[in-house]
Amino acid sequence: MKDFGPIIRALLRNKTGAMLIALQIAITMTIMVNAIHMIINRSELMARSSGLDEANQFVVAQYGYRDDFNEKYVVQTDLDHIRNMPGVVDAIQTNSVPMSNGGTSMGLQVEPGADKEGLGVAIYMADDHALNTYGVKLIAGENFDPTEVEFRDGNTREWPQRAIISKAMAEALFPDLSPQQVVNKTVYINRNEPITIAGIIDQLQAPWVGWDNVERTMITPIRTMYKFSRYLVRTEPGRRDEVLEAVKSYLESRDVGRMLFPIETISDVREQSYRDANAMQTILWVIISILLIVTALGIVGLVTFTINRRRRQIGTRRALGASRGDILKYFLLENFVITSAGLLLGIIGSIGLNIWLVDAFDLPRIGWIYLPVAMVVLWLVGQLAVYGPAAKASRISPAIATRNV
Amino acid sequence: MLSMQHISKVFRTDTVETHALKDFSLQVNEGDFVAVTGPSGSGKTTFLNIAGLLETFDGGEYTLDGESVKGLKDNTLSRLRNEKIGFIFQSFNLIPDLNLYDNVDVPLRYRNLSKAERKRRIEESLDVVGLANRMKHIPAQLSGGQQQRVAIARALAGQPRFLLADEPTGNLDSQMAESVMELLESINANGTTIVMVTHDPNLAARAQRHITVRDGQVTENEREPKVVSQLRA
Repeated sequence: MKDFGPIIRALLRNKTGAMLIALQIAITMTIMVNAIHMIINRSELMARSSGLDEANQFVVAQYGYRDDFNEKYVVQTDLDHIRNMPGVVDAIQTNSVPMSNGGTSMGLQVEPGADKEGLGVAIYMADDHALNTYGVKLIAGENFDPTEVEFRDGNTREWPQRAIISKAMAEALFPDLSPQQVVNKTVYINRNEPITIAGIIDQLQAPWVGWDNVERTMITPIRTMYKFSRYLVRTEPGRRDEVLEAVKSYLESRDVGRMLFPIETISDVREQSYRDANAMQTILWVIISILLIVTALGIVGLVTFTINRRRRQIGTRRALGASRGDILKYFLLENFVITSAGLLLGIIGSIGLNIWLVDAFDLPRIGWIYLPVAMVVLWLVGQLAVYGPAAKASRISPAIATRNV
Repeated sequence: MLSMQHISKVFRTDTVETHALKDFSLQVNEGDFVAVTGPSGSGKTTFLNIAGLLETFDGGEYTLDGESVKGLKDNTLSRLRNEKIGFIFQSFNLIPDLNLYDNVDVPLRYRNLSKAERKRRIEESLDVVGLANRMKHIPAQLSGGQQQRVAIARALAGQPRFLLADEPTGNLDSQMAESVMELLESINANGTTIVMVTHDPNLAARAQRHITVRDGQVTENEREPKVVSQLRA
């Protein structure tokens, strides 16, 4: 650090190159911090549990196209058969599954009336096998009775009298009550239609992964008759692919006037649901990498230029007693000073950009830890970038000091 | 002080081999003021570089202040340059972005001196060359003669036993050259050994000893030291 003072004074007299690099570092830090924040934020979203037993589940969708397609009969016989197939834990007909990005939502309110505010909830329609098939845990209340299951077609407006809701939904509706206390409470759908809470499950995500209230869900004892429906099948661990083939063969063997869509595992559903987020992450990593490379090359360029301009000066320092190590340290320290100036600007830029992103895109605020981590990374990048040219500078012969050309 | 015996130095390229110094021998004693002259390409600068430990040599023996410098590591050579030798260059070689104070401070920073000691030495040496009142100026704000005085102050601040001057007046007009020469003479009078490479026979004539280098060797007999000849007269 013995050259710190002279370096500062020399840089203040010769600002342009150093300022450009400092500015580049500031921009790199600003973008890097916010991009990594977005990546980590997305990663956290992607890493959330859907509540399903994802590794052991698949869905198959069907559409009954023939006039003689008897959905009630076909679904019941399909489910009876599939539930008894080897390796199957359970199966349901359902309107949707988590992460599929398509489903039904309604508003639930704790008091009836059109003037009362409702909370949005994703609605899953399935029979009493739903909890076992989804693989969710009932933490309060009870499951549906098979006799409660209602059949619903496109004209049905009424909702069943009981429902099971997620813990997150229970907390949203009744923030001061425990799950056990929420059981048997009445909530209202369609403004005035009462529903009794039969049970509370630990977790089950809504179909829309980008929804802020993705954890607010409700299972209703309904079998749909919309001609289009899905089966969700849960298998014993490790037997998913084998069972999938068997179910596929069985369904294809039945000529009941329906079209079967390709079977998707829940892993596939997750992958498709987060494909854009994954792509965005890749793009952000590429941008960060390019920025770091460009910044490092900028530093290499500036230092190389500076060294070529100061060859005699370096030779003179060597003649006056500087060791190779002193020259190396001089350039490393000079870069550290320039980088630090850039990082100070970068802190302001990072926070400023984040404030704008929070306002414009409703992103969360960056954590303070991003700033020191980014600073360390950029200091390291700077020092690594400058090391090669500085090492070369340290090998300049002191005899250059006596050359007069 | 400085003893070179049969020094040789060869510069090689793929096709050419140049013998810059051949069997070069010279003895410089404590307190000497030696002028080295010779035509261009004669080996003056090579001698200066080797004497100043800026360059290595291929053969012979070189002893500086009683210590053989042959085969010393780069760090040791740097330390010896810093502690024992002061350099004055033809082009002054001041660092343009640093003020005079920081320029004089450069060699002192490579020595573990306290800040107060460095300050004392810088102020003293700038005072010796008459520039103590311009410490915060940068070199570009000074004349050539003043810049060379700063370079001399930088050399003096390290309190070297041995000053090497490479054409110290080469870039100065006659008036400034005279003032720099007077300064060197006064430094020598205070006991510092000086070896000065110059093209100027008039300046060389003012030194105690004058040697001529030709084809990498000391070819002419040294004339008698000025003091001795004055005594005989």
